Amino acid sequence: MKVFKEVFLNFKKSGFMNLISVGTIAITIIILGSYFIANLAVNHFLSRVENKIEIVVFLKDGFAAEKMKNTITELESLNEIEDVKFISKYDAYQEFVKDKEILTILQSFESNPLPDSIKIKLKEYTPKNIDKIINILKSKEGIEEIQYGGKEIENLLNILNVIKIIMIVIGIIFIISSLLVVSNIIKLTIYARRQDIYIFKMVGATNFFIKMPFILEGIIHGFFGGIIGWVILYVIINILLTEIKKETGLDFTGFYVFTPSFFSLKFLIETIIAGILLGFFGSLLSLGNIKEK
Amino acid sequence: MIKFNHVFKIYEKNIKALEDINFSISKGEFVFLTGPSGAGKTTILNLLYREDIPDMGSVFVNNEDISHISDRKLPFYRRNIGFVFQDFKLLFDRTVFDNIALPLVITKTEKKFIKNKVEEYINKTGLCGKEKLTPWHLSGGEKQKVAIARAFITNPSLILADEPTGNLDDESSWEIIKMFEEVNKEGTTILFATHNKELLQKMNKRVIRLNKGKVISDESI
Repeated sequence: MKVFKEVFLNFKKSGFMNLISVGTIAITIIILGSYFIANLAVNHFLSRVENKIEIVVFLKDGFAAEKMKNTITELESLNEIEDVKFISKYDAYQEFVKDKEILTILQSFESNPLPDSIKIKLKEYTPKNIDKIINILKSKEGIEEIQYGGKEIENLLNILNVIKIIMIVIGIIFIISSLLVVSNIIKLTIYARRQDIYIFKMVGATNFFIKMPFILEGIIHGFFGGIIGWVILYVIINILLTEIKKETGLDFTGFYVFTPSFFSLKFLIETIIAGILLGFFGSLLSLGNIKEK
Repeated sequence: MIKFNHVFKIYEKNIKALEDINFSISKGEFVFLTGPSGAGKTTILNLLYREDIPDMGSVFVNNEDISHISDRKLPFYRRNIGFVFQDFKLLFDRTVFDNIALPLVITKTEKKFIKNKVEEYINKTGLCGKEKLTPWHLSGGEKQKVAIARAFITNPSLILADEPTGNLDDESSWEIIKMFEEVNKEGTTILFATHNKELLQKMNKRVIRLNKGKVISDESI
């Protein structure tokens, strides 16, 4: 418990410095948190877009469904494919008649005008995967038409992938820069206590004994920085959402990442852990060269 | 106990802090190190403390070449040495008690033992009633007594002192010298750097004189 006494003394000695350190971590948490939320929102949007994309194959009327079975099993065995679903003309009819307007149109036909079809979902929508599947399908008999959105989808997918890569790069830059800021702040507190560190070394304290209080200090700073960062982030987002609602009438509170449950205990714990890790690695970084005086 | 063997220490721009230093000190000796400022007294103490290592030659303490002590073992080497400096080197945000207890605290000594030991040294150095004060409230002489109690409390085999009386009036100086003499009688080796001539004459001990980084005389006065 001696070590906590050391930490307490460090706090007392470098009061203002503590505020700067906690503040820096809080700001970092706000930036990382906003980034995290933005990243989740983008990913959520991306996966929704991707989920909407599917390849639909319409079969020639009168072509026996049994003959299609081989093609379906072949497709199912491919790595790129998530799901293959055969939809008979009867199933399609049942689906469409749920809509009353379409029902009246369909009832004007003597028989069911809808074709048999196959819906294909891919694991990953890359232009290469789409091309491969299209080429396989084109070689098969009994296919009337293949729909997949064509070039537009491919372009959209390419843009989405670039966005993902940019988000990852920005995230890495944020983490590195915040680590450097935190470690430099802790370096300053070490500098403020260099005379004491010198005395500790003179009386024969081990490096571990000397470093431990600083590491704990970093962790404690991270803890408080994480909590403060979370609170500020929560307030900012709530103010933003109410302002947007007031100005434009748009209500985003129902949108995935902005739901109250998202700012739950889990997110709070995550921000605290992020803060603690920042403080911990920040202090480790700055203590690296404590040996050289 | 201590042996300097052809020790050279050269700082940047070819400033020779020490040039071919040779001397030995036996266990239990009380030796003064004297000479004008910049003669190399502090450099010699720094080498013994392993704050610094010689550029050439070797420094032996207890037959061990201390240049070769690893960083990991260095703290344990230093625990055998007490130090007393002109500027006290106290922790100003801690009480007198905590300052004196420091060398025992870092070795995770039992609390009760620490309390008894510190009380013993507070009595020996005449600091009774000041245990709970921080060094801010002490006079120069009292601060140095705290530093001495801290240096003596582990019963080190060697005590290094760098002008410990430099900032003190005559009366406090003599009190402090008495403490060094006492601990020396109990067998502790003392290397005491000073340029107080009066002190050297009155004490009648072995004196190593330095000038410009060289030993110019080594004799008992």
